[in-house]
Amino acid sequence: MDVFSPKERLLRVLKNEAVERPPVICPGGMMNAAIVDIMNTTGHTLPAAHHSYDLMSELACDVHQNTGFENFGIPFCMTIEAEVLGSNINFGTLECEPKIDKEKYQSVLEVDFLPVSAIEKHSRVGAVVETIHKLSKQCPDIPAIGSLTGPLSTAASLVDPMIFLKQLRKERDGAHRVLDYVSQHLIAYARLMIEQGASVISIADPTATGEILGPKLFEEYAVPYLNQVIDEIHKLGVPVIVHICGEVGMVKTQLNMLRGNAISVDAFVNLKKMKEENDKLTTMGNLSTYLLEFGEAQKVYQSAKHLLQDKIDIIAPACGLSTSTPLINIKAFTQAITEGKDG
Amino acid sequence: MSVEKEKLYSKLSDAVVDMDEDSVAVLSDQVIKEDIDAYEAIDQGLAKGMERAGQLFEEEEYFVPELLMCSDAMNVGIDILKPHIRKEESSQKHKIVIGVIEGDTHDIGKNLVKLMLSSADFEVIDLGRDVPVNTFVNRAVEEQAKIIMISSLMTTTMDRMGDVVQLLKEKGIREQYKVAIGGGPVSLAFANKIGADGYSANATEAVRLAKQLVVKES
Repeated sequence: MDVFSPKERLLRVLKNEAVERPPVICPGGMMNAAIVDIMNTTGHTLPAAHHSYDLMSELACDVHQNTGFENFGIPFCMTIEAEVLGSNINFGTLECEPKIDKEKYQSVLEVDFLPVSAIEKHSRVGAVVETIHKLSKQCPDIPAIGSLTGPLSTAASLVDPMIFLKQLRKERDGAHRVLDYVSQHLIAYARLMIEQGASVISIADPTATGEILGPKLFEEYAVPYLNQVIDEIHKLGVPVIVHICGEVGMVKTQLNMLRGNAISVDAFVNLKKMKEENDKLTTMGNLSTYLLEFGEAQKVYQSAKHLLQDKIDIIAPACGLSTSTPLINIKAFTQAITEGKDG
Repeated sequence: MSVEKEKLYSKLSDAVVDMDEDSVAVLSDQVIKEDIDAYEAIDQGLAKGMERAGQLFEEEEYFVPELLMCSDAMNVGIDILKPHIRKEESSQKHKIVIGVIEGDTHDIGKNLVKLMLSSADFEVIDLGRDVPVNTFVNRAVEEQAKIIMISSLMTTTMDRMGDVVQLLKEKGIREQYKVAIGGGPVSLAFANKIGADGYSANATEAVRLAKQLVVKES
């Protein structure tokens, strides 16, 4: 029998306190579990649910109830931050997640600095924070996780990424100014989420990978701004999960500089080994989303059991889920974690 | 080859590796002033430098920002030298149609592959990002390209790469094209599963793959 509520369990793990079993979660944002199977059954569908508070809260609830993930994960995309700051968004379809249609700027030197209040005035931010408010009141035992797009990824959604990446070397001051600006907005957004009841903030920063940046630029640009956002969230008493995409071998030293409460990584990263190398690390992950989509439910179940055996602290998908992932596989995944030990 | 020429080529190559656009410009002007073969200077100077940059990228000395800057430096030189290439030297290039599959706007990887292929003397037709399945096939037909390269950075869109192979089959033209795929969530196993002809893990490997596919073709 479960000793802790899902919220207590997740918060305890993030505080390094003992729990009877790891939580199994899917934090939203990049890791969005609003799959086609669920939407077609309930009729609460994307892309409409990206805009409407009613639909967003219904869909977040559907996802939690149908999948067995022990949280609410909001929002269902990574585009709100860039939209607030000026980029055009294509909201996609039922199957296809929203994306940046066109980055607003061609150089870090062109960026218009909007006041921080731009965040709270935006309608989609409103939908997100109202959803968090409603769900955290309605189901106080289930943690509402607010998902943010990380500073580098948001900046690379404002400025054409091919130019932006070069400017990390050529226009250092300008690049730092934009990252600081973006970080201030992310902090304001996180604060709104927390004021409305978010228990945990999750930051995914897919542009901030060792593979794209290399260790030097990762240390110069990814670490300080992620930490800046993390520190401000900590001041509000809320823990932070950071997801880093791609192979992390070459930025191991830098990952240890991050001050988040848990680190989530891709499928091919050996989490067990990461734990052995740094026993203070709280690990999250990393069931292959490829397996989740194309594998047999039985195989998914076994892989989830492996994560349990490896004593991964928080069990979650390794990356963004495909919207065509079969529900039966996700159920097998969560069931492997939540069922009794003899299961 | 004269020692002087060789020296100039290796300086051009170094300037590309050093991401030094200004030096590339000065050296390229020198090539023209001294009436040295422009095509050879591109091939053995600029392209050689880009190849070395690609190697550094594979060895994890260089990363994406560095590779992009090397490419900018190379292009500065190409812009100066290209008008001076003698006609008969520009041989028939193999055409490749490349793009990021529909639903996906992450094009960093695709752009790297494109610039490495271009510097390796392929003619690359870039369809951009978020490209519908139909467009890949139609443009390959129009352009008489023999290779279609598709990239996806998201597990949510990778399925559609298989649809390109499927559409070629439906049109009865599958055998006329080689399909190669790449991108974060993609693997050789996935390439085999969807019936693609090849997979590459990074931009330099993509060049080797394209060369192999061309050999198989002819």
